[in-house]
Amino acid sequence: MIKGLYASASGMLAGMNRQVALSHNVSNADTPGFKQLLVTMNDYMQTAAYPQLVQSSPLIPVYTGNLPPVLPDYLERLGLNRLRKQGDLGLGVETSSPIVDFSQGALQTTNIMTDVALDGEGFFHVRTPDGDYYTRDGRFGRDATGQLVTSQGYLVLDVNNQPITVPEGEMVIGTDGTITVNGANVAQIGVVAFADPRTDLLRENNGLYSAINAPDATIPVGQVHQGFLEMSNVNAAQVMTQLISVTRSYEANQQLVRVQDDLLGRAIGSLGKG
Amino acid sequence: MGSYFVQMIEISRSGLISHMEDLDNVSHNLSNINTNGFKQIRTNFQEMLDRQLMNGVYPTSSQRWNQQGVFETTTSPLDLAVSGEGYFGIRLPDGRTAYTRDGHFSLDANNRIVAANGYPLVWTGGQIPAEAEEIAVSQDGVVRYRVGQTWTQAGTISLYRTPNLSGMISYGQNLWLESEASGAVQTGTPGTNNFGQIINGTLEKSNVDVAAETTHMVVLQRAFDMSMRMLKQTDNMIGEAIQMRQ
Repeated sequence: MIKGLYASASGMLAGMNRQVALSHNVSNADTPGFKQLLVTMNDYMQTAAYPQLVQSSPLIPVYTGNLPPVLPDYLERLGLNRLRKQGDLGLGVETSSPIVDFSQGALQTTNIMTDVALDGEGFFHVRTPDGDYYTRDGRFGRDATGQLVTSQGYLVLDVNNQPITVPEGEMVIGTDGTITVNGANVAQIGVVAFADPRTDLLRENNGLYSAINAPDATIPVGQVHQGFLEMSNVNAAQVMTQLISVTRSYEANQQLVRVQDDLLGRAIGSLGKG
Repeated sequence: MGSYFVQMIEISRSGLISHMEDLDNVSHNLSNINTNGFKQIRTNFQEMLDRQLMNGVYPTSSQRWNQQGVFETTTSPLDLAVSGEGYFGIRLPDGRTAYTRDGHFSLDANNRIVAANGYPLVWTGGQIPAEAEEIAVSQDGVVRYRVGQTWTQAGTISLYRTPNLSGMISYGQNLWLESEASGAVQTGTPGTNNFGQIINGTLEKSNVDVAAETTHMVVLQRAFDMSMRMLKQTDNMIGEAIQMRQ
């Protein structure tokens, strides 16, 4: 009974974990380049249901789990020398650490010439005072010295991992990331892809990712679109459906906790009376 | 479990506040549709993660969209518009120079060329003689006036820009100041070195994209609703946890 209580409580905790991720996704539904976080649930442990002591009989399958090496004498005298396994009991559920859903977000026109969106595989390469990072957020601009920077002032790197200085004039960015100003070639924005972004990248603050494994230069990267932004890949309908499922399973678990509490109370009550 | 409650509420709260700030920004843009030389502003929001712990969203920066605004033809020769890059310089009462795209100039009581708020334009000339019958400003910024049949050159207007126009600090009244973030101010003759040309008898209106801003407003209202629903849901969950024991 106590095990069931904890299993139901673990269900409530898992519901809260999912709620945290859902709230985070909803809050960032309007953040360009945001990739939604998915939380999956696993059974975390199973245990054999209480082995029951029975009289030995060739018809009863014998429990082969951890038996006490010597059974107490009085049990032996009663002929209770076998344990019967009643089955497996799940001890509850846990949430795995969130997985990033790297699917493509919708491209939105902004007409801002320093906004760029990636359509397809790949990440922009940015340099911060703490090191190099990767991002899908293309809200770029020029800093005080004319260098191309992210909306937070981090340097956007070119294909040779060098900062890009954009001179005055009309800036045009080609689909391969080549920047030209007044027709003159300036630099090519670096776009790199990873074999498996879910395992090769670590999600960091501010829409940045740090590399656990180096990018794979053989993977073809997507196209760069000037005057567009990639919006978040949070899907409102999906989020609201998940919200309902979280709500209902959380409620069900809460009810189960109450039922088990009630049963436990009754058991204690009747035993006390007996 | 207490930290869960706080975290869940904080995430939804950050969403609500961010969407509200963004709505303020949209209102600011929409209310300046008819402001001469106004440039649309965008507030940038970013995901907040604290060592992998989800914390919602927060505003990080704002960018000014320096796209050209629409032109409106007027009858005043001192209504000037810049077609391309470049700001006019305005002398502030404290001696500093502020920059603006608002080209609605006129002559004050002392025959100086002044901006709409009365601050003088920064140019090489001073006063326009009182007997001037007509004033004209050429595309390259040369100001001339006519007395009788004679045109006389009074001076030239230069334009200004910084590497990062979004980095300029607002002085208010549609005026902007140089800052550390904007970079050093460069000056130049209109029509040269990527500076735009001056068009007289014309005003540059705002560059607010009404359709885009209105759409953004609808999206924000929906996003706000969703965050609100999440917050209510979180509140229900907390309530249920508390009422577990009748």
